Formats: sequence, C-alpha cells, structure tokens
Amino acid sequence: MSALDRAGLDARAWLLWALAASLPPLLGRNPFVLTATLLAVLGVRTAMAPPSDTPGALAWNGVVRLAVVFASVGALFNVLTAHLGDRPFAYLPSALPLIGGPLTLNALVYGLLSGAALLTLVLVGTTLGWALDWPTLARLLPARLSTLAVAGAVAWAFVPQTVVALREIREAQAARGYRARGARELVPLLVPLLAGGLERAVTLAEALESRAFASPPDSHPGTSSRLPWRSALAALGLAGALLGAYLLGAGAPIATLPALGASVLALAIAGAGPRSSRRRTRYRPTRWSRADSLVAVTGAITVAAVVITLAADPAAIRYDPYPSLTLPRVNLGLLAALSLLLSPVLFIPARPSDSPIMAARGRAQRVTLP
Amino acid sequence: MSLLAPPSQVHFDAVTYRYPQQSEPALRNVDWRVEEGEFVVVAGSSGSGKSTLLRCLNGLVPHFSGGRFGGTAVVGGHDIRQDGPRALSRLVGFVFQDPEAQLVTNRVEDELAFGMEQLGVAPLTMRKRVEEVLDLLGIAALRGRDIATLSGGERQRVAVAAALSLQPSILALDEPTSQLDPWGAEDVLTALTRLNEDLGLTVVLAEHRLERVVAHADRLRFLPPGGGQPLDGRPRETLAVMDPALTPPLTRLARHLGWHPLPLTIKEGRVCLGWDTRRPAAPPSDRLVSGGLPVVALHDVSVGYGSRTVLHHVDVVARPGELIALMGRNGSGKTTLLRSLMGLHRPKSGVITVLDRNIARLDTAELAQDVGYVPQEPGTLLFAETLREELAFTLKHHGGRGKDPEQVLAKLGLAHAVERHPRDLSGGERERAALAAVLVGAPQVLLLDEPTRGMDAARKAALGCLLRDLCSEGATVLMATHDVDLVAAVATRVVLLGDGEIVADGCPREVLSGSLTFATQINKLYGGHWLTVEDVVTGLERDSE
Repeated sequence: MSALDRAGLDARAWLLWALAASLPPLLGRNPFVLTATLLAVLGVRTAMAPPSDTPGALAWNGVVRLAVVFASVGALFNVLTAHLGDRPFAYLPSALPLIGGPLTLNALVYGLLSGAALLTLVLVGTTLGWALDWPTLARLLPARLSTLAVAGAVAWAFVPQTVVALREIREAQAARGYRARGARELVPLLVPLLAGGLERAVTLAEALESRAFASPPDSHPGTSSRLPWRSALAALGLAGALLGAYLLGAGAPIATLPALGASVLALAIAGAGPRSSRRRTRYRPTRWSRADSLVAVTGAITVAAVVITLAADPAAIRYDPYPSLTLPRVNLGLLAALSLLLSPVLFIPARPSDSPIMAARGRAQRVTLP
Repeated sequence: MSLLAPPSQVHFDAVTYRYPQQSEPALRNVDWRVEEGEFVVVAGSSGSGKSTLLRCLNGLVPHFSGGRFGGTAVVGGHDIRQDGPRALSRLVGFVFQDPEAQLVTNRVEDELAFGMEQLGVAPLTMRKRVEEVLDLLGIAALRGRDIATLSGGERQRVAVAAALSLQPSILALDEPTSQLDPWGAEDVLTALTRLNEDLGLTVVLAEHRLERVVAHADRLRFLPPGGGQPLDGRPRETLAVMDPALTPPLTRLARHLGWHPLPLTIKEGRVCLGWDTRRPAAPPSDRLVSGGLPVVALHDVSVGYGSRTVLHHVDVVARPGELIALMGRNGSGKTTLLRSLMGLHRPKSGVITVLDRNIARLDTAELAQDVGYVPQEPGTLLFAETLREELAFTLKHHGGRGKDPEQVLAKLGLAHAVERHPRDLSGGERERAALAAVLVGAPQVLLLDEPTRGMDAARKAALGCLLRDLCSEGATVLMATHDVDLVAAVATRVVLLGDGEIVADGCPREVLSGSLTFATQINKLYGGHWLTVEDVVTGLERDSE
C-alpha cells in the first residue's frame, strides 16, 4: 500500500458510499431500511476503526457518544411531548404543562426511529472522517473552488481537535478543584475552548496567508479571470442542486431530474473557464483502482435502488407511525441493495494506519524522538 | 534601481506601526537593513516587538493585522505597503512559533507541496523540489508520515522545508524553537545554519536560545523592552552591551570576568580560560533537603495507556521544601508522572500517597485541595473576565481557604493587571496568571509541566526566585522540564527518566555535571561540580578574600 491510499480507497468512491448510506435515513423512517443501513454502516466503521487508544479514535468516539445522547434525549422528549397516536400506554396528569396527557407508543416509535436516523448519519460522517484525507478530497474540487475546499478542510480538522482540547481543559479545571454541577458552571470549560480555538484559527490563517493560499495564480495582479456572470451561474447551479435534493426529500423523485440536470449544466459552464490563466497544480494525481470501481458501482446501485423505490413503492422507505401504528412495509429488493453498502469492508486493510485528521494538541510528548 | 548603491534586500526607513486598538506603537521609527545572504538574529524580551518586526518582512503586518503603518519598508524590491503576504510568499518564507497550528495539511509530502500547488508550479518541478527540500532538512525518512505523529522538532523542520519549497530568498522565523525540547531545537537550528552557509539564503531569526546561534550569526539585533533604540551589530558587539539577563551564561560570565574578545562558543571560552589565571575555590555544595516526612511518595508505580506502559516500577519520595526536577527526553514519562499524581491517570500497579493518603480513591477535584497543577498550556485554565475573578474562582473551589489574592498577584508581578482580562495578557504574564490561579489555593504540593516553555531568560530567573521562595515556605515542587539552567539554579534534586524508568536520582551537581546532554555551559567550561555563573562568581570572591 502506498502512502497515498491510506484507507485503501479513493475519496470519490468513499463519497459515493456516504451518499448511498445517508440517503435512506434522510428520506424516510422505515424501520427495516433504517436498521439495514445502520448495520451496514456499523460494519464498515468497525472494520476500519483505528486502534481505540489513538487520539483520533477517542475524539471521533466522543462525537458518536454525543450523537447517542442526543438521539436518546430526542426520543424521550418526543414521548413526553407528542401526545398523538392510537396506542397510549400511560397517562400523565393533564395539569402538567407540555408533558401532561397520554403517552403513546406511536410517539416512542417515531422518536426511536428519528434517533436511529440521526445516529446513522453521524456514523456515516465519522466513518468518512476516518477514511478520508481532506487534501485528497479537496483536490477533487475544481481549481476554482480550491479556496473553499481548503477552508472546509481546516474547519473539519477543528472538530476532533476541539474535542481533545475540551478534555485537556476539563482536566486542568478539575486540577483546580472545579466540578461541573450545572449549566451555569460550564463557563470555565467553554470559554477556554472558544478562546483557544480562535487563537489556533488566527495562527492557521496567518500560516495559510504566508504560504500563498488563495493567491492569484496569474502573475498579473488585478486581472481577475473570475467573471461575475460565472459566479452567478455557479450560485444558480448550487441552488438548483439544493432544490433537487429538496424535491427528492419531498417525495417527487420525477421532478428532481430536470432540476439536477439544469444545475449540473450550470455548474459545468461556470467551471469551464478560459485556460489562459495559470491554474493551481497537483503534486500527485489520485489513482483509481478496481476496488474503487467496485465500491462506486455498488454505491450507485444503492442510490438508484433507493430513488427507484421512492418512486415506485414509497411506503418501503417512508414510514409514519401516526396516527395509527401499523406494520411497516418490507421491500426485500431494497434491503438487498442496502446490504451492498458493506462493500468497502472487502478492501479495508487489516490494520489501518492512524487517523489522518488528528493533530492532537499536547500529544507530542507521546511520540518519542529518534 | 541605482547602480551606485546596490539596495539592501530588506530596507526599513522610519517604520512606525501600531496594532489596532492599541495606544502604544509596537514599532517606533525603525531603521533596518538586511543584506543578501546574511544570518540575522533578533533578540529581546517578550513584548519587545520581535514578532511584529518579522511579520513586516512578508507583509502580515500590516495587511493581515490591520493597524496604522508609517514609513517605508521595502523587501526584495517590494514595498510592503502595496504587496501583501500572498504576493510576497514567493520571496519570503515564514515559519511560526507554534509547531502544532501552522501546518495546514496532514501529510508531510502534501505539506511541502501545498504552497507550490497554490502557485501553480508545474508538477514535474514540484516533484523535484519536494525531493530537494526533503534532503536539505534531512527529513526524507518522514515523507509519508502523518503530521499528527511527528514530534515538535520534526514538525518545525517540516515547516521550514515547506517554506523553502517555494524557493524564497529570505527565510523569516519567529521563535521557531521556543516550544521545542533541546534536541528538537538543536535539529532546527543546525538546519538553519546549513541553509545559510551552503545556499546563501538570507535568514532572519527571532530566538531566545542565543547560545546556539550567536556563533553562526552575522548580526545580532537586540530590541530593548518598551520600544527603545535597538542595538544592532556583530554578535560580539551586541552581546557585550545588551541586557545581561537575556544573554547566555557564557556571555554573562565573560562579561563579569572582563574577557575580551567575548567568547561565543565553549571552545572560545576554553581559550579565554587558558590565559585567565583566576580560578574559583571549591564549588558550593548542594542545598540538601532531608528532614521532614514524605509529602509525596510513589511506590513501585507503573502507568500505561491502553496496551502501552509509560512508567515502569517508579519509586520517588518528596519531602517538604524539596524542588524536584523531572528531566528526560520527550515521551520518557515526565508528564505522565505528574498527571498520575493529580489522579488524571490511574496506575496499573503500585501505590501513590500524597500527604499520607492513598490517592487511589480520591478524585482530581478532591486532590486539588492540597495539590496544585499547572499544565503545559496555561490557556486551558483561564476563563474569567478579570484576573481577580479568576483567583476568586479557585478560592471558591477550595472552600475559601487559601492565600490573599492581592498578595499572590503582587508576588508574581501582576498587581497592575488585577482588573484585566487574563486572555489579553502577554504570553509571559498569562503563564504567571495561570500560576497565580493555582497558587492562590495555597497548595502544599505544586506540580509544574514545562513551566519555562517559551519564556525568555529574565522571566525564567524570576520564576526561579518564586519557586525557591515557595520551597523555603515548606511547599514541595515537582516540575517536568528540559531547562538545565533553571534546574541548576533552583532544583534540590533531579530525577532523570529514560523510557519510563528512573535512570538517575540525585543532587543537580551529581546528575547534571559531566553529562553529555544535560551539562550547563558553565559546567562544560569548568568541569567538576560547577553549574552556574553565580557558582563561579562567588567562588572567585571567596578566593580573593
């Protein structure tokens, strides 16, 4: 394995996988579909988890734990506040504001399914966080968007860094006799976290600035090749893509095609600039392997299966426990397609190297000098 | 350009600069020339404007920082009032202080290619240049490594290599070694001298480890605190007149003994010692602390993370009034030892007692009633609106028991900053603010993790005095440090760790003297048990009486 293919697969293949894995939880609440997706994502995640004591793993596990907390709290909140449905299982005195009234199984099911959907999305995100190397990902974007790409990369790297920083701050404050007892007492933890994050951000911005980041590739300053109509077209294209996503989510898969087509066209025109100005170059081109093709093809099949099912048999993806709790519909073909999400497992090396993202603060002492 | 007077590569004329929302200018009427191929070292205490001066070289000041800029500053033919850091990135490479925040990608090769990719250098040229800078800095073995797995010294060499890949003609470095251990610093500075001597690269370096660089520098510029007139000349000339507290021990000794010309290296010092017939009497003996019951005791303690063991069967006993320095390479277990005393790591085996209590069942907040811990990064502690509130917070969590906040602040030289926001303080003041926030709880045991990281010599001396006072009041201090001068001046005992085991445990004079890596400059010169300038000076005075 060369140094470049850290997780064994190309970034584009991973992105397609992530798209395929996040469509079902975004589009519906069918418990069978959600469970199948969640299991597949968990499978991939387990296969590629770095050794659990690396700072990267700790940080991402923190994010997952947070998602579990949010999902459980959300489900509880839903049971207590949504008094809808035909299967009440308990009553709270109606004198109680907000939570008073019947507690229904419908609300519990809905809350749990929403929680599972959220958890699946977070797991997809953290798996990408392990698998992907942002510089590689940034290189996929057209040169015009490279500024945005690097900014995104930096922001992304901040998440696990911040989790590590929070742990350090908590320890430092505990060593001062501090115990967090309530929300008001979180100030000693949050202020150093925000201030430290800002300070790091300023240094990083200075470093980027000094290293020619976003400098005009053209040697003649002032002559901008980025024409306003191009930017407008790019904005329109992005808006079209968002509209397409919304239509897909709203259950009109047929109407999405023209919207997506138009947006792709707009982005393509906006992206095809004159070649006269010098462009940013790439140190190493990314290579596409057979494994990448396989993961990409299985991802595409899953996406297609989801979209087709949404048009032909919406109940197999959507599910609503309100107003009456019914058995959700099973579509075996769709479930089979979802099992294809496990395909990256075949190509993940036995012992993945440490997380690419972490630049854990204060971990330098754990690395011995030669 | 006139042929009569070839222009200097860096040419500052009456440059005055004030940061936004500041009343005092950071640079006042600065005239400065740097010629091509020079190695210029900029010295001065924190807050003297070193960073600001360097940031002018690539236009970060004023383009990035804002503020008011006056005068003219021309760098390689570019007026920095017009051309900002992006335009100057091909001309001036810049390396920052913090090894952790300045690298923008996550793999070494990508980092080196980053700037070239931004500027659209042809791929073939790029490949070649990456190979070149890898060899120049001696980091070819790191090429495929993840940045997160590099040590501080390795990161800084990667940062230098990344700056060099754009083939700048000037390399500006803002205290690149201040966050590094001595070995990492040595690697970086050696690389710099090689770049200057072999390639003729102009190097402008802000640095406080002067002993390592003065011998190679062409010029030393000293910025006095408070924006006074800077001293600029050959290293020997500047060292002879600048603030002695900021000069290396060898210089201080040579100035005291009136050696001329001033020796810059130990080798030159030996020559001076050859003709100076004065010899000091026997070196003073160590301050021994033997009385008192153990305050802290580690008995056969092993600590590990996951499957890795970091401390192996360690035994340490500390008594009241002792100041124990924990020394050793990065990763030798110093920080882990301190953290396990604070209950932040539970030992796999062995017993730790603090003030006669087994700490296995005490949580950190409980331990904090008697043990103070100042982590490496003081920023993790400070959160309050004012310094007064910051100290009040500690007192509140100590049930109101503790020292008088005003007194603590006065002792740390922070009396003027009582009402200021702790985060607005300068680097050194912030370090002391964190120390004050811990000391106000009147801990009987004080744990310090690299307290002098990034401190200049004057502030180190002040910290040394403070620690000595604390110990004479009966407190016990354990500090992890790389700073041999501080240890020689204040420690009563040195515990040397190697790969999680205790290698040596004894008086500073026994452990430090004659050691290849830990000997002070004075020890290298005089041998025996001589460690500090004060040892030699008092030895000579006793001799003459």
